[in-house]
Amino acid sequence: MKRPVLVRRHRPLRGGQPLAFVVGLILALALGAVLLMAADHEPLRVYQRMFEKSLGDQNAWSLTLNRAVPLGLAGLAVAVAGSMGLWNIGAEGQILAGAMGAAWVARIGGTWPGPMLLTGMLVGAVIGGGLLALVPAMARARIGVNEIITTLMFNEIALRLLQWLIHGPWKDPDSYNFPLTPVLPDQAHLPTLFGRAHFGVIIAGAVILVFGIAASRTAWGYELRVAGSSADTARYAGISLKRKILTVLLLSGGVAGLAGGVELSGTADRLTEGISNGFGYAGIIVAALALMRPSGVAAVALLFGAVQVGGQSIQIIGVPASVSTILQAFILFGAIGAGVFVRYSLRLVPMGVDASGEGETAA
Amino acid sequence: MSQAAAVELVDIWKRFPGVVANAGANLRVERGTVHAVLGENGAGKSTLMNVLSGVYRPDEGEVRLDGTPQRFHTPADALAAGIGMVHQEFRLVPSFTVAENVVLGSAERILRRQDVEARVDEVARRFGLATEPDRPVWQLSMGERQRVEILKALWRDARILILDEPTAVLTPNEADELGEVLRHMADDGRSVIFISHKLHEVTGFCDVATVLRGGETVAASLPVAETDAATLADLMVGSTSLAGERPPSRTPGEVRLAMSGLCALGDRGLPTLHDVDLEVRSGEIVGIAGVAGNGQRELAQVAAGLRGATAGSVHLDGKDVTSAPPRRRFGLGLCYIPEDRIGVGLAPRLSVVENAVLRTYKGHRWGPFLVGSRLTAYCRDLVERFGVRTGALGDPIAGLSGGNLQRLLVGRELSGRPDVVVAAQPTRGLDVQGVKAIQELLVAERDAGAAVLLISEDLDELLTLADRLLVMHEGRIVAAFDPMDSERSVIGEAMAGHLADEGAA
Repeated sequence: MKRPVLVRRHRPLRGGQPLAFVVGLILALALGAVLLMAADHEPLRVYQRMFEKSLGDQNAWSLTLNRAVPLGLAGLAVAVAGSMGLWNIGAEGQILAGAMGAAWVARIGGTWPGPMLLTGMLVGAVIGGGLLALVPAMARARIGVNEIITTLMFNEIALRLLQWLIHGPWKDPDSYNFPLTPVLPDQAHLPTLFGRAHFGVIIAGAVILVFGIAASRTAWGYELRVAGSSADTARYAGISLKRKILTVLLLSGGVAGLAGGVELSGTADRLTEGISNGFGYAGIIVAALALMRPSGVAAVALLFGAVQVGGQSIQIIGVPASVSTILQAFILFGAIGAGVFVRYSLRLVPMGVDASGEGETAA
Repeated sequence: MSQAAAVELVDIWKRFPGVVANAGANLRVERGTVHAVLGENGAGKSTLMNVLSGVYRPDEGEVRLDGTPQRFHTPADALAAGIGMVHQEFRLVPSFTVAENVVLGSAERILRRQDVEARVDEVARRFGLATEPDRPVWQLSMGERQRVEILKALWRDARILILDEPTAVLTPNEADELGEVLRHMADDGRSVIFISHKLHEVTGFCDVATVLRGGETVAASLPVAETDAATLADLMVGSTSLAGERPPSRTPGEVRLAMSGLCALGDRGLPTLHDVDLEVRSGEIVGIAGVAGNGQRELAQVAAGLRGATAGSVHLDGKDVTSAPPRRRFGLGLCYIPEDRIGVGLAPRLSVVENAVLRTYKGHRWGPFLVGSRLTAYCRDLVERFGVRTGALGDPIAGLSGGNLQRLLVGRELSGRPDVVVAAQPTRGLDVQGVKAIQELLVAERDAGAAVLLISEDLDELLTLADRLLVMHEGRIVAAFDPMDSERSVIGEAMAGHLADEGAA
């Protein structure tokens, strides 16, 4: 009799993570197909349509890219904190705060010229997101309050603040009492690149690139890695943990806030309660799948963007859009499940032999 | 000997990916003996013992007990056949009592607590293992915990007891007591396999010694009475013998590190250091002896700036650094070799390069960027100079052996030519060559004029290296000795807190 046992590899499988991701994707599509068949749809037709509408032509690509922008920035926000072992669960609220910051600048600067107004809005977005992260960041850095809980709770605060603004002081007087702000001035929209794709694609790409380089090539990124690996080692090396925690969480909030600002000035034309669309929570999944690496964040965000855009497109043929949500979840589980094999290998072992420690001992 | 031996391991081969751990190793242990298994780290001792205790199955070769070939599938099979192993890391439940830990996993369904305690006590007394069966394990010292581990094996009626470096966590006196316990067990007809690096213990406690090198048996069942430590060391290392003599002292210079009236709290927030006064001069090694947990760790941390002082002061080269952060102290020439290599001195998930540059990365910058080629060059130089055996420099340090991790850490700390070296347990757990290499580095630093504070639980190491020896007990410095003419037993008494008239200061 033999039984399967997971044995730790001496070192992670080279190039294993992207492979695990692809395996996860295939598993997700297969599971999704089963679900679709159970609901009397033809999986191939649904998938074909999803593909065509998300990656089939230039217009489809522009939609996917636009969707990938907030996902990528939110994912980056989570990944920046995650590279130091911190969990920013508050990206959703920080996106709202960023959108509010940008909307506020648009309100006071409605007559400014376009470039100045846009710059102001984006700066306002970064500051808004950062401000929302300020209290969790300080509480964590100074007295060690768990940032997972505080950032999560601040999501609620941001949402209530936004609701108050659009039901109250910022409400459009001509909105027939709908909770909306007035339409943004024309020059407050980001320029278009091609199709529907807006300039936010370049902003998000640049920000992810800059963080990618900062994380892997600078002394700052090195200190982050040390602190993320072992807090005691960081203290030993003279790296100030308090300052690192503070800056990382503020940056994380700022990046998420930027997502809100870009979303407002890129795809929305006014501030509403639905400005974020759950990007902040999806960002956690994006970052987790990307193993907290900026380069991975870009790739995963693109894929999720395509799945979400494709998901919307299949409503027309009578398939609920929640199929895309289910697919995203399957991708997550599939990739994480397959990711286990990057660090472990499966062996058949005769019954009763304990092989779990073998890899470690031989090293 | 015509009679079958209690244990015979015949031509054991065990291969792991990329490593041959045992290449035809042999071991023959007679009944009623204490048998030392010696070898450097990586010589294949642990693998061989894991084969014997059923953790691994050999690729080739045979395990025989009393002449009968055995095939163990699990450690439980080996235990059932009478083989008990006491691992280096104890496997005890801290919140359980001694008795509960002893019977855990072997108990009948329902037990009366007093019965169990009485029976555990009885077994303990039979072998001279003084314990209090009703005390929770977390209250016990390392030595007492080890006795519980041994009791666990005896409770299961192990006829063959394997002890993996049992004295690493013990005081000299506790180690001597352990020797007596082992003798009891041998006299009872059991066999004890004793894995150690410490040669004086081997010559002190053991009847026979088998030496492994490179996975092979290089000397089988040498009668200890007919050999000596130098011969055994030769066999283990395979090269020149271990220099047991003291390196010549130098005349100490000015005071580099001074602590006065120093008090500090321990991890649990209780006062742990009390009014410590200490001076270390240029060109001397001051040794701190003491049983683990008497404030030595905290003393080193306060010196390095990782733990705050509640009273008193620390001066480096005359400058008050009592509240200076670690990096400033490093800048003033203090280097620190922490007791916890991985997790304090080294970051576990990072690569060899990333760990090598931990102290100096700021010097390899170009603007905000770290220059990868310079980091690698620096690391390669360090690795070569200090003889660190590594795989690819970009791989995580997790793949390095204990000795190589310590070489990397010590090399990194000493490469900046420090004025003051604070070394906490720098050779603990290393093999003979590793110990020798680290000790030589410390002596070389002293000879170059550094002030060295050496904290060690290995009294022999302190007696060999230190120019002055201080003993810590319960957070105080309770005695000072001249290592040149002090009796081990007197120092041991001071470590145990029995203050006789102490020797010369």
